[in-house]
Amino acid sequence: MQASAIVIEDLGKYFPVAQRGWRALLNPFSPLTQPALSGVSFQVESGAVTALIGANGSGKSTLLRILATLLVPTRGRARVAGYDVEREAPQVRAQLGFHSATDGGFYGRLTAHENLDFFAAMNSLFGRQAAERIEEVTELMGLAAFLESQVRTLSTGQVHRLGLARAMLHRPSVLLLDEPTRSLDPMAASDFRRFLRTELVERRGTTVLFASHALAEVEQLADRVALLDSGRLVACDSPWGLRRATGAATLEQALERLTLRGQQAEVSL
Amino acid sequence: MLRKAFAFFRRDLTIARSYRMAFALEILEAFFGVATFYYLSRFVSTGQLTRAFPPGTDYFAFALVGFAFFDYLTVSLSAFDNSIIEARQNGTLEAMLVTETPLTVILASSASYPFVVLALRTIIYLAWGALLFHFPIRAANWLGAVIVLIASILAFAGLGIVSTSYLLLFKRGNPARWLIVGASGLLGGMMYPVSVLPRPLQWLARLIPVTYSLEGMRQALLAGAGLIQLWPSVRALILFSGILLPLSSLIFAWALRRTKIAGTLTHF
Repeated sequence: MQASAIVIEDLGKYFPVAQRGWRALLNPFSPLTQPALSGVSFQVESGAVTALIGANGSGKSTLLRILATLLVPTRGRARVAGYDVEREAPQVRAQLGFHSATDGGFYGRLTAHENLDFFAAMNSLFGRQAAERIEEVTELMGLAAFLESQVRTLSTGQVHRLGLARAMLHRPSVLLLDEPTRSLDPMAASDFRRFLRTELVERRGTTVLFASHALAEVEQLADRVALLDSGRLVACDSPWGLRRATGAATLEQALERLTLRGQQAEVSL
Repeated sequence: MLRKAFAFFRRDLTIARSYRMAFALEILEAFFGVATFYYLSRFVSTGQLTRAFPPGTDYFAFALVGFAFFDYLTVSLSAFDNSIIEARQNGTLEAMLVTETPLTVILASSASYPFVVLALRTIIYLAWGALLFHFPIRAANWLGAVIVLIASILAFAGLGIVSTSYLLLFKRGNPARWLIVGASGLLGGMMYPVSVLPRPLQWLARLIPVTYSLEGMRQALLAGAGLIQLWPSVRALILFSGILLPLSSLIFAWALRRTKIAGTLTHF
């Protein structure tokens, strides 16, 4: 059995309720009462692809951001590549690539190449090594046509590809992707999925945890699916396992049944 | 660390080069600033006032040094803040924070370009002053001035980090920065000697680093003071940095953790 690249144990995240006016002034650090994640536990094996699915606001992005060390969990713990996300954050960041759902995060007046060069340096890649990696991701993500263009002149899809290239620049052992094909055209999305499966996972053994609303993509890519509903983990199994457990013909049906079952259980409590 | 700092410097230089007119206008702006001080000093200079300054210098030289080097305080306070504000607005803060480079290195490196630009601006100020308005540069102890400057930047950086901690927590409206710049402008001796202030304010002036910075800088540049004469100012600045840098780092670490708990790191 393969070791787990991501271990999540009883993870919970609460946010403070946003205050306005004099309340915000009197109490700038309001208590953490808004639940985003509650008691989430699962593992992602090394070299496996796991999809995070769930409705908007179900906690997918919050979970990815905790793993990326951008948020501190309220309770529980998580480890990435053997390192604790809270206590060993620098070691975690050295192992992971993160692509956020919000397109952008680039310097508009720099070219795509200059941006990649800058972020390569942020990952301690300099000189020849940085140049080789940039060449590699340029080829993999098809950036050559616009590599020397200023980012402010690129289309949303091109910026998205550049973001994915940045996440892979330092060959991370764990890749966290929030809606990785959202702004890509169908051909580019298909190419990316093929690249992710064959090159990253099968050839390099990269572990991938991605959030998506595209169930066809989930079925095509994911070894396992983690379903979140209102911050709770409803199920975590292979797509086939989820269909079998619910007696559903499609993954969509299976998810509908699982979500409904979860809500009914909550009502009966 | 140095290679990362250089990457930040190259990034900012490339962005600045894409706005070509700004640099030319800055040289012109420095000329107007220096000229204004020169004619103001001619208006206010009296025999009594001139006797208050080292031989061969006057109010113009005194005020120009104060004006040019007070900027190091304002840039120290704004450079860190601006790097966070810009990175939040263009979305690069999150992209940088998931790399292996810690935020403290990101902040320190982000300040490299503004400080180099400020050094160039200071040289332009002094050059305009010397070329057109008889600013005395022959007596200057340049090595002493550089030592005072480095000690000043370290002391001011501590204040800058406190200011950035406030910004991380509360996003905008920075009273820490306003208070530090306001108090330093009033008490630090930028436009007039500290000795003209009432005694309680003179005492307060001794509690802020900019007072020692401007004193040392004027001694080095205008009176050509040696390292032994500059030592009291340098010692005070080292003491300030010894207290402010570790304290501000603790405050910053706490503020950063608070924003990661509240999930407001990238909010603006």
